[in-house]
Amino acid sequence: MGLLENKFNDNVIVAKLDKLMSWSRSTSPWFFQFGLACCAIEMMAAAASRHDLMRIGMIPRSSPRQADVMIVAGTVTMKMALRVKKLFEQMADPKYVVAMGSCATSGGPYWQHGYHVLKGVDIVVPVDVYVPGCPPRPEALIEGLLKLQEQILQERPLTRKIG
Amino acid sequence: MGIVHGQEMVLNIGPQHPSTHGVLRLQVRTDGEIISEIKPFIGYLHRCFEKHSENVTYEQVIPFTDRCDYLASMANNFGYVVAMEELMDIKVPERVEFIRVIMGELQRIASHLLALGVYGLDVGAFTPFLHMFRDRERILDIFEMTCGARLLYNYMWVGGLSHDLPVGFMDVTYNFLDYFEPKIGEFNDLLSHNKIFVERTADVGVLPPDVAISYGVSGPNLRASGVKWDIRKDEPYSIYDRFDFDVPIGEGIKGSVGDCWDRYYVRMLEMMESVKILRQALSQIPKDGDVHQTIPKKIRPPKGSIYKRTETPRGDLGYYIVSDGSPVPYRVKMRSPAFTALSVLGEIANGWMMSDVIAILGSLDIVLGEIDR
Amino acid sequence: MSKEREKLISDAVEKAIAGDMDAINNIEDRVVRSKAKAALAKAKRLQKDGSSPDADLSGSDVPTVSNAPSENPNRMFGDRINQKFPGSLDGDLKDTHIQLKPDQWNDIAIWLKTEDDMLFDSLQCITGMDMGEDILEARYNLHSMKYRFAIEIRIAIPKNKAEIPSIEQVWRIGDWFERETYDMYGISFSGHTDLRRILLPDDWEGWPLRKDYEVQETYHGIVVPKVKEGWE
Repeated sequence: MGLLENKFNDNVIVAKLDKLMSWSRSTSPWFFQFGLACCAIEMMAAAASRHDLMRIGMIPRSSPRQADVMIVAGTVTMKMALRVKKLFEQMADPKYVVAMGSCATSGGPYWQHGYHVLKGVDIVVPVDVYVPGCPPRPEALIEGLLKLQEQILQERPLTRKIG
Repeated sequence: MGIVHGQEMVLNIGPQHPSTHGVLRLQVRTDGEIISEIKPFIGYLHRCFEKHSENVTYEQVIPFTDRCDYLASMANNFGYVVAMEELMDIKVPERVEFIRVIMGELQRIASHLLALGVYGLDVGAFTPFLHMFRDRERILDIFEMTCGARLLYNYMWVGGLSHDLPVGFMDVTYNFLDYFEPKIGEFNDLLSHNKIFVERTADVGVLPPDVAISYGVSGPNLRASGVKWDIRKDEPYSIYDRFDFDVPIGEGIKGSVGDCWDRYYVRMLEMMESVKILRQALSQIPKDGDVHQTIPKKIRPPKGSIYKRTETPRGDLGYYIVSDGSPVPYRVKMRSPAFTALSVLGEIANGWMMSDVIAILGSLDIVLGEIDR
Repeated sequence: MSKEREKLISDAVEKAIAGDMDAINNIEDRVVRSKAKAALAKAKRLQKDGSSPDADLSGSDVPTVSNAPSENPNRMFGDRINQKFPGSLDGDLKDTHIQLKPDQWNDIAIWLKTEDDMLFDSLQCITGMDMGEDILEARYNLHSMKYRFAIEIRIAIPKNKAEIPSIEQVWRIGDWFERETYDMYGISFSGHTDLRRILLPDDWEGWPLRKDYEVQETYHGIVVPKVKEGWE
């Protein structure tokens, strides 16, 4: 801080632009409600009255353009996999993906004889946080989302790595 | 003045859409806002339940049945277990039967609460959704106390149950019933007689009874069209013939018989009937009895096949089970009520506007996990 | 139940019918209170129509309960089908199902639905089966809403020539059920207006529920079978 320290009253904060951007991105990620199967009900329960998702800054948005996080909740099938990829590509940067439930993580209980089930959504989109469970409790989903927020806070979008 | 000729447009609703209750794609042909043809496309959640059930043992099929209709998993389990016990000729103790009925009726209330809350959300009312979820959480607490899971229980096993009722169950359930009965009056005040809701749903999407029977529609959808058919009364299974309850049917109070408002109101009345059954079951349940007593050590049904129907919150769920004497089923086919309810959409939604189609789809109460299996 | 409890309940119910609900609500014991409420509901209903609920005919055309047939329905109707459509029965009469040949199935279906003393207006389920030895089977579960009969009809066909007449126009739910059986087993239904896959994508190869099904390796570039090593 140096020169400008203690020159103003306490209502001025001085920080790096990097940190400011990642702080503002992490504390209000709006999620793309992509509920496919049973995990979607637990996602709805997490957004409803008892476990409130809005207190950590998340609102459900139905259009991919307006969302930052895509929570893939439920089993992804082959027929749906092409659409998941398309929707992920339609989201605007910066975007993150949370794989909720064991079906989205690795195929879930359908891994052995499911000919139509995609064994994990990370085959078609890059995933940031995996939340295991079948279905994961709303508290587990909230923990996963808080971890995602910590991860976003560590990012430095304006610095470039050299080498 | 001449007639303006427009051109018909083919549009896609879904598969990702906030009000299609899951991954469903509707291909509509519209002329402006009025729809002339609607074709549902399903299969986006086909998880190969029937192929799995040919490769795992009979007990291992039960968690897979849970995940088909994930809003009413107790009811799915119940249907499978009743069919298997009839195939193998097992008679379960009284206490097990009473507990199964209690769980089934609690699940019916929970499923209807979610269906009605989400229907209000589709039509535009956000508040009833939060109220109904609050009450549904209390039921999920009761389930969690009993078997440890909130949504997919794996509770009813062939010949018994996985856990007995915990200590304090009766108190908690009685408290819940005393708390819940006046809430139905609250929901009626909030949504059922609300002028905007009635305008959006009365006289919309009328389903005549003969069309309904030909398309195989059952459950609250059929009862709203005036046909008094409830498997719990007409082909009773388990101990439902001992309880005293009504079967509400649609009477066209706000419009014609069989419109969306009737389908909504029949579900509301069914919740009240479930509360009645619960009170009777809780007062008559025998105090002693072992829930693990009649569970067979190895499940090897005799050769043969059976088709058995039970009443879930969505309609008649049928299981067609074929056994060849080995511990692994030869064929398990699940006939789901939502499959038939969705097939009638192409028939009753013609001629309505786009937002009416959303209202009709919401009133049919479909779950894609059950349709695609 | 003890005598005093019974008297308490009947007193409370009488008062409630007269309009005073406090008598029931003031009962301390929860079990007795719920019994009283149940008795009140029963009394109110008996008062309203004076008969048992099964005969309550509110709403439009409601089916009436008739006596269950004393004879096995599969045998009885199999016999009648054989008399009306000679040569359609495949084998002899059985207790559990009716085995038919595929040729006259459409005419038999129309007759079963429209005949006055049978009225099988509800097709419950169509199940496809792979019986092994190159034979596929389609099983139909039919039910009559008015007379409460339930029969099962089975039609067996060879794998290399799997064709059954479609009954889509007779029972409208046959449309989707037949598409599903075609999707899973490859049985084609002649006369169906729009026979295409319903659950799997249109460009999927193979009939999954047959016992000799080999899953395809890739679908649009995505690998289909179990992917990661060491999962067994």
